[in-house]
Amino acid sequence: MNILVFTKRVPATQEEELRLINDGKDVDFSKLPFKVNDWDNYAVEEAVKIVEKGGGAVTAVSIGNTESDEVLRRAIAMGAKDGFLVEVDQALHDPFARGALIRNFIRKESIPFDVIFTGVQSEDDQFASVGGILAALLKLPYVSMVVGIDSVAKDHMVVRRELEGGLQERVRVTTPCVLSIQSGINEPRYVSIMGIRKASKVERKSFKGIEYDAGKESHIELVKWVYPPKKGGAQMLGGELPDICKKLMEILKEKGVYQ
Amino acid sequence: MLTQTSHKALVCIQCGKCTGSCPESGKTPFNIRALVRKKQFGSGITEGIPWYCTSCGACTIRCPRDVKPSEVIIEMRSAFIENGTVPLAIQKALENTFVQKNPWGRSRNKRAAWTEKVDFEVPHVSETESKRLLFVCCIQAYDPRCMVIPVNVANILNKAGFEFGILGEEEACCGNEIRRIGETGLFEELQEENAANLREYGVKEIVALSPHCMNVLKKEYGDLGIKVSHYTEALWPLIEEGSFKTTRPCPKKVIYHDPCFLGKQNNIFDQPRNILRSIEDLELLEFSRSRETSLCCEGGGGRMFFEVETTYQRNAEVRVLEAAEKGADLIATACPFCVMTIEDPATEKGLIVKELSEIIMEVL
Amino acid sequence: MSYALIVAETRRGIFEERNLDSIGICALLGKETAILLPDGQYSFNEKLVDSIIRVKADEEVFLNPLNMTAIIEKVSEARGRPDLIVFTHSSSGAESAAYAAGLFGFPVITDVSGYDKERGIFFKSYYSDKLFGEFKTTGGATAVLTVRSGSFKEFAAEKAAAPREEVVEGITASDSRTFVEYVEEEKTDIDITKADFLLSVGRGVGNKDEIPAYEELAGLLKAVISGSRPVIDKMWLPKARQVGTSGKTVKPKVYLAMGISGAFQHIAGMKDADCIIAINKDAEAPIFQYAHYGIVADMHKVRDALKGVLKG
Repeated sequence: MNILVFTKRVPATQEEELRLINDGKDVDFSKLPFKVNDWDNYAVEEAVKIVEKGGGAVTAVSIGNTESDEVLRRAIAMGAKDGFLVEVDQALHDPFARGALIRNFIRKESIPFDVIFTGVQSEDDQFASVGGILAALLKLPYVSMVVGIDSVAKDHMVVRRELEGGLQERVRVTTPCVLSIQSGINEPRYVSIMGIRKASKVERKSFKGIEYDAGKESHIELVKWVYPPKKGGAQMLGGELPDICKKLMEILKEKGVYQ
Repeated sequence: MLTQTSHKALVCIQCGKCTGSCPESGKTPFNIRALVRKKQFGSGITEGIPWYCTSCGACTIRCPRDVKPSEVIIEMRSAFIENGTVPLAIQKALENTFVQKNPWGRSRNKRAAWTEKVDFEVPHVSETESKRLLFVCCIQAYDPRCMVIPVNVANILNKAGFEFGILGEEEACCGNEIRRIGETGLFEELQEENAANLREYGVKEIVALSPHCMNVLKKEYGDLGIKVSHYTEALWPLIEEGSFKTTRPCPKKVIYHDPCFLGKQNNIFDQPRNILRSIEDLELLEFSRSRETSLCCEGGGGRMFFEVETTYQRNAEVRVLEAAEKGADLIATACPFCVMTIEDPATEKGLIVKELSEIIMEVL
Repeated sequence: MSYALIVAETRRGIFEERNLDSIGICALLGKETAILLPDGQYSFNEKLVDSIIRVKADEEVFLNPLNMTAIIEKVSEARGRPDLIVFTHSSSGAESAAYAAGLFGFPVITDVSGYDKERGIFFKSYYSDKLFGEFKTTGGATAVLTVRSGSFKEFAAEKAAAPREEVVEGITASDSRTFVEYVEEEKTDIDITKADFLLSVGRGVGNKDEIPAYEELAGLLKAVISGSRPVIDKMWLPKARQVGTSGKTVKPKVYLAMGISGAFQHIAGMKDADCIIAINKDAEAPIFQYAHYGIVADMHKVRDALKGVLKG
């Protein structure tokens, strides 16, 4: 089975206070390290596991600037055979534009695949939409939030998708298809620095995004970014015990963990 | 250039001195002698087993044939690392170090946050005349418990008129633990990054705050042509010559725990003790296992980031029980990892654990 | 006629509460609303919408993006194209929203948590709420939204008239993606990383005899119990329940920390929880720096009081 898996290089923002510049038109990434998008890491691992077991090849694709080569090397170190970079000079904020670019790329370059994997979402924009848009544009069946691949047959797969509250749904999907992989589906292997250095010797192909009308099909516009309403430290719940309990229960209800 | 210490498993005569000195031996499934044997025969190693090693170095010091069993362990770990089968917590620590240059994945931009708590402006090393670098260490730069250590030491050294600067956000993890975890490639990257900064800023001397950083900078960074010492080595002469004085008494019984990377691995036994003895009214006690035979706290070799499978009495608890039995009021040590591991059981027994600089600050 | 189409999220016969946020945003936008429901009896306040469109299809067929797009097409044929299609930001909602946007070429904005009516701006989280993006749709096409739970429900208001009832029939279920069965997560071996609600106890618990009362509280709250290292070390709770760098890293919706001071190693294992509530008798405990809500109190007293409330 040939699996096309998408992987994105994202800023590591978890520990950072982000700073807006140019009146909120840009985020200052100058001092941030970058990393592979967590969800994509799971997707690459899952793809590699499938071909290790049943044969075939994994091709990793990244849409981004030249530095995204880093996540391709990483994917190759994990077991992908090829790495393709579709170079775009500006971030595409609209998931539709990303989906359309990928469709155009796949069609124009006649990239062969049996299945396409994406992460459910990326850590930066958290749209959780590119996989679904791409599937629809390619007229392929789609399953998102995949937490388990139970079986892979010649013309179909049986997968489990995560619903809410610990419930899962088992679905049968014909191939070719697009699956969006949820974090936690596997335990991604550790990729050592030595492994990445070795992977650097595998040639990666680079394509120019402009050839595939990058950004032409945007349907939404990011006007600017804004900071969230400020909250400083913990909000302390005071008062007598019964009041405290009442407030606590209200919070639990509001967060949807207690009905 | 990397100085690789290589082991000599093949000359091992299986005398068992390593196992005899190993802090994990007996109570856990870890048997260092047996692992060296397996190395000799190239037999398979059970996943999980090499991760018990705390890198205390006792086996390597005691070995009569210079086999360096602790290096055998690093090689075994490396094989697991290259194979991708690494305990999840270790994997996280490595990935964090790759991204943020510290095993906890805290923001590199906040590495110098501790300097806000210092009484004076801590200069960048390039701005100093002496080009003397205070190497801070990840856990002391970020952990709220350990952050007081660089703050204290900076204040103390400044008071003693001892000039120094820092690398601030440019400091990367020293790699001591990373090398012992077996991630050679990552260790090399950290080493190259730090070494490049040392060169660029013309650093002439390094005073390391953690024995772990000191060890790797001194012994495993190749020949930097830079003098590396632990801060207690720098401080004791300042006290001796009278440049730094404590003024208040400390009428307490203090028992000193030798950190493995300061004591048995680098023979720094006396300076911390001398510093403690210089404090008025302080009574210094000794553990039955002290100096070269000091019992490891189990915080090294990656164990700070990850918990082994079996549950057993922790060495830290053994230490605390003995300290209590000897009537100590507090346990002093000179390593952030020792502070972290020993403090846990100590708090329960009503004992206090302090890093040396904390005691000094109280008697300034 | 201009209207907003709300795709209801139902699960095994339950009308999910978060649909109220979908209804709410339509009210905020001043749209006439039609809600799409699969076959079955659903209990909700029907007066909150103008029309109810009942689709002759099972829930499992309905919540399949391949079928949902066919349903939307049928609705559009019957009553014109909607201006807005609103889904919940949930597993199935986000799945169908993206697929519909791709198939119809509509703009899509997901996880919408705010709307500025004057400027026609939708707010969407970026970087786990560290920033919000202000988005506009361009061109006149129908916008597809998924809406964050808890963001708009207060705007849902009852309409003057009872809703009109409509029916959509003749949906042929796709055979390229088919529902097989529901799978309940295995309960035998608790995986604390998968829990939505963790009640975590720390050193402050004091002694082993106190643990059962916390387990009972967790049971009443439908929370999963976990602990910090000192509790695990003493084997008061099994190793699999340990939160922290030497245990598991968890990201529950709610992390209720009782008697945990917040050692660095522990914080690293839970700081990404959506909501952290800390109960500690020490007001200076570091955990309060990371918590969203804090209670300075004796954990046992809070436990007993909560048990009292829950048992009625």
